Amino acid sequence: MLEIDFWSILFTVINLAILFVAMKFLLFKPVRNIIAKRQEEADAAAKEAEERAAEADRCKAEYERAIAKTEAEREKILTEARAQADEEYRKMLTEARSEAEIIKKDASTEGEKRKQRIISEAGKEIGDMIASATTKILGNVDESELYDAFLNTMEEEK
Amino acid sequence: MLFADDLCNISGKGGSEIRMTEELMEKLEVKTVFTIPLFGGIPVTESIVVTWIIMAVFIIFAIVMTRGLRTRNITKRQAFLEWMVTKLDNMVGGMVHGKAKVFSEYLITVLLYIGLANIVGIFGFKSPTKDMNVTIALALMSIVLVEAAGIIFLGIRKHLHKFIEPTPVILPINIMEVVTKPLSLCMRLFGNVIGAFVIMALIEIVVPIGIPMVLSVYFDFFDGLLQAYVFVFLTGLYLTEAVE
Repeated sequence: MLEIDFWSILFTVINLAILFVAMKFLLFKPVRNIIAKRQEEADAAAKEAEERAAEADRCKAEYERAIAKTEAEREKILTEARAQADEEYRKMLTEARSEAEIIKKDASTEGEKRKQRIISEAGKEIGDMIASATTKILGNVDESELYDAFLNTMEEEK
Repeated sequence: MLFADDLCNISGKGGSEIRMTEELMEKLEVKTVFTIPLFGGIPVTESIVVTWIIMAVFIIFAIVMTRGLRTRNITKRQAFLEWMVTKLDNMVGGMVHGKAKVFSEYLITVLLYIGLANIVGIFGFKSPTKDMNVTIALALMSIVLVEAAGIIFLGIRKHLHKFIEPTPVILPINIMEVVTKPLSLCMRLFGNVIGAFVIMALIEIVVPIGIPMVLSVYFDFFDGLLQAYVFVFLTGLYLTEAVE
């Protein structure tokens, strides 16, 4: 117990050295390797996730840009279409108005002409009737005959 | 022997007491198990054989536990192993700093060895740390490692210069420390283990039932593991000091 024995000391040193090497290669190294490997895998997974997130962000930005572009294009097309439709409408309206104006004017002119013609014809007929009546008055004595003749003429006229 | 006489004085001079003292001394005696017929006979003591058993236990444990390690879907066995190694790493990592961290695996090995060697008596084996030669070897290894680490990490000039730091006046004290450090490491461990063993043996003589079981938790388990921790803690401290 209290005696110093060189061999025991040497044995213990060798034993401890062997135990250290054994523990290093059989216990610590495999466990550390597996922990490091898992860490590597976790890091790789995290990196991949980050890359995917960045890619998703990029796609989202691109998609939003495309949406905005499409929206702007749609708006432009709509504005152009509206402007074109307005132009067309105004043009058609103007044409319709001018046409209506012409029709109205023509109708008015025609009416006036017809009126003048009727008046002129009526005047002429009245003149003829007056002339005929006058002739008859002047030619015949009998007033009743003249009257009858006038009535007959009027009847015929109807 | 002075130690045996002291025990006789404590336990009295009666026949049964002397027999108990003899039993106690026999328990403390480190017997030679066999002799290797080389260089005039190399004695292999009980402490060496028990050390081999402890080594076998650790090596078998390491081989069994590290079989089929995976990175995913790990078994409970692997989870326990990883937890244990990480805990030991953290514990010893807290004792050594900077460059001295490279010695953490050695310190863990020493911690496990002394820890099991101190409590192996519970399983009926004679604790190797009750043999002063084992504690001398452990302390020698520690101090050789400390001095070697100082020379390797700082260079021989800087390492020697540390002996006259902070002032050359303390050179003798620093030189003495080279001897006192391993001596204190060795004697602290040996003294505590022997002390705990003798106290437990005396308690068993005085109160054979009940009390020894309770006190064994402190003297065998707690004190044994505490001494392992103290030994490794001090070695770590010396290593950190040496490489800084």
